[in-house]
Amino acid sequence: MGANIYKNKKPALIFMIPAFLFMIVYLYYPFFMNIFNSFQQIKTLGGTSKGMIDPWYWNYAEMFRDVNVGVSLKNTLIMMLVTLLGQVGMAILLAIMVDNVKHLKGFFKTVYFFPIVVSATALGLLFNLIFLYDKGMLNQLLETFGRTELIDWKAEGIALFTMMLPVMWQYVGFYFVILITGLNNISDELYEAAYIDGCTTIQKVRYISLPLLRNVICTCSVLAVTGALKVFDLPWTMFPKGMPLKTTFLTGTYMYYQTMEAKNVDYGSALAVLIVVLGFVLSKVVNAIFKETDY
Amino acid sequence: MNKEKLSVGKILVYLFLIFWALTTIYPIIWVIQNSFKAKDKILSNSFALPFGELFTAANYRKAFGNLNILGAYKNSIFISFVVCACVVLFAGMCAYALSRYSFKGSGFLYSLVVASMMFPVYATIIPVFTMEAKWGITNTSSWFLTMISVILPQVAGNLAFAIIVLVGYIKGLPIELEEAAFMEGCNAYQIFFKVIVPLTKPSFATVAIFGFLWSYNDLFTQMFFLRRPEMRAITRLLNELTSQEGTNYGLMAAAVTLVVVPVVIVYIFLQKYIIKGMTAGAVKG
Amino acid sequence: MKKALVMLLTGAMVLSLAACGNSVDDGADASTTDTAVEAPAEDEADEAAEVEAPAEPAAPVELNVTTTFAGEDGNAANFKAAVDAWCAETGNTVADTSATSDETFKTRVITDFETGSEPDVLFFFNGADSNSFIEAGKVVSLDEIRAEYPDFASNMNDDLIADSLVDGKKYAIPVNGYWEAMFCNMEVLNAAGVSLPGANYTMDDFKADCQKIKDAGYTPIACALGNIPHYWWEFAIFNNQSPANHLEIPSVEEDSAWVAGMNDIKELYELGYFPDNTLSATDDETFAMFTEGKAAFLIDGSWKVGGIVAACQTDAEDASTIDQAKLSNFDVTYVPGKGDRKATDLIGGLSMGYYITKKAWDDPDKRAAAVSFVSYMTSDEIIPVFAQHTASALKNAPTVDETKFNSLQIKAMKMMSGTTSLTGAVQDLFQGDCRVTTFDGMPEIVTGKVSAEDAVAEGLQTYYDAQ
Repeated sequence: MGANIYKNKKPALIFMIPAFLFMIVYLYYPFFMNIFNSFQQIKTLGGTSKGMIDPWYWNYAEMFRDVNVGVSLKNTLIMMLVTLLGQVGMAILLAIMVDNVKHLKGFFKTVYFFPIVVSATALGLLFNLIFLYDKGMLNQLLETFGRTELIDWKAEGIALFTMMLPVMWQYVGFYFVILITGLNNISDELYEAAYIDGCTTIQKVRYISLPLLRNVICTCSVLAVTGALKVFDLPWTMFPKGMPLKTTFLTGTYMYYQTMEAKNVDYGSALAVLIVVLGFVLSKVVNAIFKETDY
Repeated sequence: MNKEKLSVGKILVYLFLIFWALTTIYPIIWVIQNSFKAKDKILSNSFALPFGELFTAANYRKAFGNLNILGAYKNSIFISFVVCACVVLFAGMCAYALSRYSFKGSGFLYSLVVASMMFPVYATIIPVFTMEAKWGITNTSSWFLTMISVILPQVAGNLAFAIIVLVGYIKGLPIELEEAAFMEGCNAYQIFFKVIVPLTKPSFATVAIFGFLWSYNDLFTQMFFLRRPEMRAITRLLNELTSQEGTNYGLMAAAVTLVVVPVVIVYIFLQKYIIKGMTAGAVKG
Repeated sequence: MKKALVMLLTGAMVLSLAACGNSVDDGADASTTDTAVEAPAEDEADEAAEVEAPAEPAAPVELNVTTTFAGEDGNAANFKAAVDAWCAETGNTVADTSATSDETFKTRVITDFETGSEPDVLFFFNGADSNSFIEAGKVVSLDEIRAEYPDFASNMNDDLIADSLVDGKKYAIPVNGYWEAMFCNMEVLNAAGVSLPGANYTMDDFKADCQKIKDAGYTPIACALGNIPHYWWEFAIFNNQSPANHLEIPSVEEDSAWVAGMNDIKELYELGYFPDNTLSATDDETFAMFTEGKAAFLIDGSWKVGGIVAACQTDAEDASTIDQAKLSNFDVTYVPGKGDRKATDLIGGLSMGYYITKKAWDDPDKRAAAVSFVSYMTSDEIIPVFAQHTASALKNAPTVDETKFNSLQIKAMKMMSGTTSLTGAVQDLFQGDCRVTTFDGMPEIVTGKVSAEDAVAEGLQTYYDAQ
């Protein structure tokens, strides 16, 4: 019924033109160049192509042979689950808690944001020192509990855990900020009405906050899933080049590695295409899931 | 408003919130305390407070002595504010159109936005640089053109995220308000600026914060476009201090502190504004 | 040819250390011959220059200069001072777009050439990194410059200026060189009852010493194989070759020296001489082990002298806060030798230099200024300021004032005066994905997940495919 206002589509066009102009010129055009590059032979970033690769689909075929692509996809999948459950889940919990307490509200809102402000390099260094073999905070702590042997937190079996914990922690703040804004958008009067009707806090959350947050939670899930595909700085600072033994590569770090370190620019371009395609498909899936559970 | 009753549940909630707050505050304190230590003390003594023997202001002396920090702040703040203003305006309009108008291909356009968020900057920077070099706005001695050359790609890079977040918020708004405005004779542009923007002020503030933050911290783009010393932004300038033979952690901590402080101030300022905006503009939902 | 070059560089170095020896004469002889050969060409060029001279503009120009003397680079301040002095002298101005050298910087420089926004003067690597813009003819060769400015870089020993890998011509006028050698933490060596390795040190001696150090409870070798295996990679291969053939990249079929080098590292790994977490540690961590007296040996480059000295200062910026007693624990010596390579045959050279771009050369306003700038920066007065305890390509090497140096720098100079040859790093001759299998793949090799044969063959195959 509300569609009346939006029958005239002309304003929509005008609203969208600036944004799409920017995206076409600065994102889509370069990205088509990138797709083009993935069929070329380019061995220095910024260098000229040495002609078409033979056969032209070589880089895409190579992805199936490359064990590191498999490793990074597997790790990224784990990362997605961690981000969805750990980051978004935790952020929802924190946002609702903060929204329902009376004291220190502004304080929590401010400090939960801090991890996003500090650059990943500094956080990487911090976590490196916490997990340092000889002897970071954790190993010092364990020593005081009487453990004599040092634990290598970056060794093969445990490296993924050591990598994901800080990433998870860092981005909780990010989703928290988005979610708390969503809660701020909800009018107080709805809550007051609920209060008059005698709702408990739990009921209030269940019947007002969560349903009204649905769109925002959907957005967060899309961001979480796609974010996992391109997360880069913190893992790279802590585990450069997929260390140890190339077991910690994620799609984002592997693409960077091939482009900037290995100088296999054309292959890196192909990996970028893979990231975009996966991100696109997965965001569709997330959207579909949220649509199905419509009220 | 609901009154606060102190129950066991409430206490647990507070304990949990405070615990999380500690984990987020500590890194900042850690960075700041290490910025007052010499680099060789950090690996061995990073968790101690910088008093007595440990204390040195050398990192800051070096940063302020060799570098034009104030000029860099000016450049940074100019770039980030312009980026953030453009992003909020363009993304807001676009998100409004995408969430309210249903037309053929709107779903497709939204997918385009999502996809473009995935483009890694390492894949797009070279064509962007080549393009801008052709326009003649890179590597010039003009301050203004240089700023433009870094602002444009950053606006584009932040738009997709901002649109997605804003679409999420705007879709959650009840449409009745817009209908009421329409009945009173507002056109679409008026509805956007008079109904949507005020209603979702906090969301715009959030997007603005992220736009500001990412532009401010975007070292990679700055490395490409900001070359002359007088045109460097703060992140770019301080990066000069912190690479080379065996990273100088103390200097790095000082650099991070100098970078972070303005952002925290901006955030606290905007945070206040959000809360104020909320209580002032309580609109029926 | 390469061997001669190596000897000459050593010659220049020994000379620069104000020591004496036969090689000094070698160096001088060679350069005299060179000048003689070039003499006729110079006459013609002189005329050309004279014709050109009146056209030279007196108006000051702004020169775009990009170097790596920025940020924490030890020469950043020297560069700034030299630029200011040059500007004051000539009335020109310099737009300094220098940045710290890293992958982003290299990409930026290469992209600049692609898009026509390159600087007028560039200080950059002369190895494989420069191939793309030399191939595109975007920089001017030394011969071309000398055709008009016969005196250009005449204070250089031409044999020490690296040839381009693309066309064998000389482009980059070098300033300061580097060497790679083995640093020792004497505190650890003494505790383990091991004496400072000398000139006749062999790999077998080294292994015996490592075992003693390990038995004493220390880590013998500070190296993060999973992060920066580069120095061990270079010397391990060098140990299965000789200075004469080290710079020849083997064919895929005849790669036995390289394979043997990889297997030598594997052996050391299996003997447990690397840190326990060498596969998951970063280079910073293992370097910290070395400076904190937990590890004994560190193979690294001449730039690490500064890092070690800084680790002995309480205030990294203030040289007066140096802990001399701690610094005296560190020494630098030759790298254990094997077969045809003596311990005193080291890796080193002049890997960077000043380029004048075609763009500046073709600009009548800038040509003279660019030449003047590079001449100034590579003059007999300026180079010693930059080169310090490393090498330079000057014909008349200056005498150095030892009192200005700290104890480790003096030890380094003493060590360098005993080198028998200095060879370039073969890893600088190729780049990018050819390195992947043996550099980033080092952990797989030492743990046996990939055989050294396969890794080397695959890397070389990639190299030849890219040619």
